[in-house]
Parts: sequence; C-alpha cells; structure tokens
Amino acid sequence: MAYAIKKPGRTVADQSYVVEAVKGLGVTFKRFFQNTIGPAENRKTATIRYPEETREYPERFRGVHRLTHRVDGSPRCVACLCCSTACPAQCIYIEPAEYEADDPRHGYERYPRVFVIDELRCIFCGFCVEACPCDAIRMDTGTHVPASWKREHFIFDKETLMSIPGKDGTYVTANPRHEPGDPTHPGLDRDKAH
Amino acid sequence: MPTFKLDGQEIPFEPGDTIIRAAWKKGVEIPHYCWHPGLSIAANCRMCLVEIKSARPMALPILAWDEKKKDYVETTKNKLQPACQMEVTEGMEVVSKGAAVEKAQASVQEFLLLNHPVDCPICDQAGECKLQDYWLAHQKKLKRKDTEPVHKPKAVRFGPTIVYDAERCIMCTRCIRFCDEVVGDHVLDMRERGNKNEICVSPGRELDHAYTLMTEHVCPVGALTSKDFRFKARVWFLRSAPGVCNGCATGCNTWVDYDPRYQRVYRLRPRDNEEVNKFWMCDAGMMTYKRFHEDRILTGRVRQEGRVVEVPRDVSIEAASKVLEKSQRLAVVFSAQHTNEDNFVLGKLGREHLGGTALYLAALSPESVPGGWKGDAILRHPDPNPNRAGATAVAGGELRSTADLAADIAAGKIDAILSLGWAAGESVEQLANLANVPHVNLSSNIGPLTQVATVVVPVATTAEASGTFVNAKGMAQQFQRAVNAPLGIKSAWETLIEIGKRVGREIAFAKLPEVRAAMPATTSAVAAAS
Ligand code: SF4
Ligand code: SF4
Ligand code: SF4
Ligand code: SF4
Ligand code: FES
Repeated sequence: MAYAIKKPGRTVADQSYVVEAVKGLGVTFKRFFQNTIGPAENRKTATIRYPEETREYPERFRGVHRLTHRVDGSPRCVACLCCSTACPAQCIYIEPAEYEADDPRHGYERYPRVFVIDELRCIFCGFCVEACPCDAIRMDTGTHVPASWKREHFIFDKETLMSIPGKDGTYVTANPRHEPGDPTHPGLDRDKAH
Repeated sequence: MPTFKLDGQEIPFEPGDTIIRAAWKKGVEIPHYCWHPGLSIAANCRMCLVEIKSARPMALPILAWDEKKKDYVETTKNKLQPACQMEVTEGMEVVSKGAAVEKAQASVQEFLLLNHPVDCPICDQAGECKLQDYWLAHQKKLKRKDTEPVHKPKAVRFGPTIVYDAERCIMCTRCIRFCDEVVGDHVLDMRERGNKNEICVSPGRELDHAYTLMTEHVCPVGALTSKDFRFKARVWFLRSAPGVCNGCATGCNTWVDYDPRYQRVYRLRPRDNEEVNKFWMCDAGMMTYKRFHEDRILTGRVRQEGRVVEVPRDVSIEAASKVLEKSQRLAVVFSAQHTNEDNFVLGKLGREHLGGTALYLAALSPESVPGGWKGDAILRHPDPNPNRAGATAVAGGELRSTADLAADIAAGKIDAILSLGWAAGESVEQLANLANVPHVNLSSNIGPLTQVATVVVPVATTAEASGTFVNAKGMAQQFQRAVNAPLGIKSAWETLIEIGKRVGREIAFAKLPEVRAAMPATTSAVAAAS
C-alpha cells in the first residue's frame, strides 16, 4: 500500500533562490577569508602554504645531507668513495685529488676535488651516512631540499653541502684523528717522527 | 708424481717444493704475506703457519688451564710450522684449517694490526688488501690493545714513482727481496728494530731502477703506492681484461684495469705467465696505458692546402678511398705496433686488391722512444715494438724500413702510401719526404707518421680491440678488448675493410675469428690469453 508523503511547504524566499544562494555564498566567503587572511590557528585546511610555511618535523627526521668540516675549515671527507659505492640510487659523484705540495696533508691524505649529490635521484635512505668511515657526510640537518623550479638547483656540489649546518648549528665534526699541526701529530717525515 | 695430504686432499708436488708452493700450484691458497711465488723465502710474517702431522711431531711443553682442576696443568702442543719454508715430503699430512692453526692466524692478524693504522678510506690498497681480506677470513675481532699505536713516517718519497708509508708496512720484505733478486739492485733495506722497523732507501740513492712500480705490486698492503695511480680510482670499481704490453718485443702479459662506467683504463698490472714475464713488468711497460687516452686521434684529419683539418670519420674514409683509387704504384707500410689481424687485412687490401708491391715496416727505434729505450737481461727487449715478428710474418717476409720508403719516394718509385699506425723510428723531419705523395694513414695516436699523412683515419687502440701480437720469442699471444672505442671508431682491420668497400674491393671478413683463420698459423695461435 502506498504512503502519501507530504511535501515541505516552500516560502517565497525559497522559491526565489536569491536568499539561499547568498547564504551559501556567505559560507564560501567566510571560509575563504578565514583560510587566506585570517590567523593561522583558525584555518580549516588540510594543506599548508609551502614553501613559505613548513611543518614541524618529528625529532627523528634526518633531513638533507651535509659535509662536515675539520677545525681548519677543510672538508672532513677523504674521498674514499665508500658513500658513492653504498648509494643505491647512484647519485653521488666524487673526484678524489691529492693535496697540493705545500699543504701539510700532502702525500698522505686526499680530498674530494668534486663532490656532487643529485638530490633529485636521492631516495634519502641514509646508506651514505652509514658507509662513511670519517663522519664526513651526515644527514642531521633537519631540513629538506628547498623547493625550486630548476633541476640544476637540486644538484648539490661540495660548497653547497659544506654550507649547510647541522640541526645544532655546527659545521665541525668531533675528529679523533691526529691532524698535522696539532701537538699529538706524529709527523710526516723521518725528521719529525723520531 | 709424489703426493702429500693437505686437509685431507691429495696434492702432488715436485721434490723441493714447499707446502705453500705445492698448494699454490694446485690452486689451494694458504694465507700468506711474505711469501711470493717469484721471490725467495723470508718466513717472517708467520701467517702461513700449519700443523704438520707426522710420527713424531715437534711438541712444545705448555701450561694449559684445566676447567675441572681449576688450575694450570702441564701438557704439550704441536709446534706449528711455516708452510712457506717447510719442504714437502712424500705422504706428509698437513692441517691448515684446524683450531690451533686458526688461533695462530687470528693472533698473527691481531699482531700485524696492533700498530697498523686502519686508514683504509685513504689507502689505495683498500679493496685488494690482504690485511682486509684475511682479517675478515681469519680474525673478525677487535684488537685488544687500546693504547696509542706507534707512529712512523708517512708519505716518504722513495723515488720519482713510489711513496712509502711506514705505518702501514708489515715488514714482509717483499719489496727488498724483489729489488735484490729480480732487479739485482739492492736499493731498499730495513732499519731499526721491533716496532720501529721501517724500510729505507740506500743513502744517496733513490728507488729509481726500471722496475720500481713492481715494488708497489708486490707489496701486500698499502705501504708502497705508485704516484701515478694514487688516489685516482678505487679498485672495486675496476674490471680487468687480459692484455699484452705494447712496450717492447718481450710482450709481457698484463691485466688492463679499466672503469666500465667511464670506459677509461687506469693501470696495467702484470698477469702471471711463467714463460714470458713470470710475475713482473717494467715501469715503462706499465705506463704504456697512457697512450690509450693521451694524444689520441678521435676524428679524421685531412690536409687541405698545407693545413690539417679535422673532419668526421666518414669524410676521412671517403678521402682515403679517393687517394687509393688513383694510385698506380702504392707503398704499403705495415706497423710493428699494430696487431697481426690489422697488418694482415692491410696486406690483403694493399697488395692483393690495390696492387701495392712496395712493402715497408714502420717500427720504433730505441732512440725514437720518448726518454730512450734500453733492453736488459730481466724483461726488457732491445726492440721497443710489440709486434715486429707478427707484422713481418703476416706480410710474408722481410720488410724494408720507413727510411727506405723516403728514399724510394725521392727516386719517384711511389705515387701513394697506405700506412698503419703512428710509430716510426724516424722523426717528422726525416720523414718529410712522405708528405710529397698522397698518404693515407690509419692511426690511434699522434706520431711521426700521422704528421706526414694527407689523410688520417682514426682507429682503435689495443685496449679498444682484441688482437694478437707475436713476441721476440715467436709466441703468438692474444689479448682482449677492455674498453669501447669512442665516437664510432673501429679497429684498424674493420676500418680497412670499410675503405676497401668504398674503392669497390670486397674483403670478406666479418668477424675476428675469420681473419684469424685466414692468417698464417704461427701468428694466430692462442697462447697465454685466458
Ligand atoms: S641517502 Fe641514500 S640515495 Fe641518498 S645519497 Fe645517500 S645513499 Fe644515496
Ligand atoms: S663522504 Fe665519507 S664515505 Fe663519502 S667519500 Fe667522503 S669520506 Fe668517503
Ligand atoms: S713496503 Fe710493503 S712490500 Fe715492503 S716490507 Fe713493507 S709491507 Fe712488505
Ligand atoms: S719488458 Fe717490454 S713487454 Fe714487458 S712490461 Fe716492459 S715494455 Fe712491456
Ligand atoms: S708466508 Fe710464510 S711466514 Fe710469511
């Protein structure tokens, strides 16, 4: 058996649509201004205005790579290629070189003449950091690669990597090695060694 | 052949063999540092200690802790013996893997690493260092010493080619013995005692004989490094192809170590071959790899109104075919630097197809080698060409020299030249005559012959193509391609066939084995190439 359902009555205001449309637009505009010019805590959006705004990362977030310094400002890296060997994305390119003849490290140590990480290819696995025997490459910056509109900006060279500080603001690594010049250094030739 | 037992395996030996040598011949390795199959026995590293089971083993009285009695008790243990020094006797039983041996190996490792700096990241030997390998195989434990290691000189210049790091040296004396016994030059020795031991160079001397780079290769650790290879590459990226040295008529067997990612050769290493070079190579030979990348000819060159213009390879082949088509009295110049295959196809095209009857051989003379060349009684042959014998054999008889060619041109007997290779015994000035007639040269590097050519067609180096050389002893030795030739360059024999096609002469070889099959048997035999 059929039920007779009573239709809701329509007022003139309903019938004309204008008032209801304006009411609806009001909601739209309220949200619009709330989410664009209003204070941030009132916003009701799932998105943020990146890159002007960033989210707080969890404590354990590692971040983009950096190259640590020695006390004298030179790169800690000895260009052993362990990181580029370990890197599954093969995005690290290093050219080793010898220190110049007048450098105290000449002859017994090497450095990276070129050190490049392609951050677009990197998968941020951290294997490079694990592999580094010198604590020269770290992912303790807590920042990510800044947004950019050019591929070249994601190719980090040695200077860029050395210009990024760690989360604690330091560049230098605690260095257990003897460095030429410090009093514990054994010397590099026969005269100094005995 | 008499046999003995090593870990239960029957191993044959010749009377006089030591345990380690007999095992090595059979392909069984007993860990060792100071022993080298080509050097005398020093028995000072003690890594090769083994247990010898015989009726009356040499027993040492020792005190051992007894768990039950909670006290030390007197007992005996078998004295371990160095396998490198112990001569094998018939029926001897040797244990190289027992608990006692393992303990000894771990202890020797720990001892060697007491003061050895673990600077593997900087050390060039990383990746092929016996200390690394044996540590993983026989120790795998941290050392117990926690005090500051003894420091010794680092980066000591031994001579123009070698740098020494005393901290890394394990005093195996292989380098000293190599200089003494193989080179006959007692330039290295040891000084000081105990943990102050270090290798030194004779006063007033440098390590500067003709085989200095070999000291780096016999060094089992990174104590000696070659200035040329230091810091350039890491060995775990390198691949090796069997090669034959281009330096002289001895034809030492080599490993061509190249990086497949960059298609670049980084060094040459001796490849063991008892009949040719044993385990050794000379410095000059090891440096011939530079030719693979330096002074290369990568494009065609055509001389126009006295000026050399670089042109694409195709254009140079076209220009070459124009020259050859017109020639009536062609001179064919074989090369003592090129392979038998290259020279053979050159002969096919130049003689059979183009009717050249005047045949010459371009070969380096000792004076024309940069820095000079002298033979010696060790390896170096007075003839600095790797394939004079092979080139002569495939050409079918004695060839005249490039100096004769210059004379023949002056006499008007020649109206065009087809030459192979860059090398000649004469200088550009002495060969100036060769520029008076149209001259097609196929070459991989810049040299006197390329400089007097009208058309130069680029071809592959010996690292970029497989081939065969015949050395001064008449042994044909094959070698294999290591890297790919850049820019579509092909080996000389393939290029000659291409030129042949252009001038309407079909030479029906498509593959290297076909060329080899057509060559005289003495020039294509497979020798040491593995
Ligand atoms: S984080 Fe991983 S992918 Fe990125 S550079 Fe390091 S090893 Fe390579
Ligand atoms: S960053 Fe570390 S692992 Fe990478 S090359 Fe430098 S020292 Fe070696
Ligand atoms: S330098 Fe090398 S070869 Fe020479 S004694 Fe030391 S470890 Fe042995
Ligand atoms: S002796 Fe001759 S063939 Fe042997 S490495 Fe030296 S140059 Fe090469
Ligand atoms: S290899 Fe036998 S003692 Fe060194």
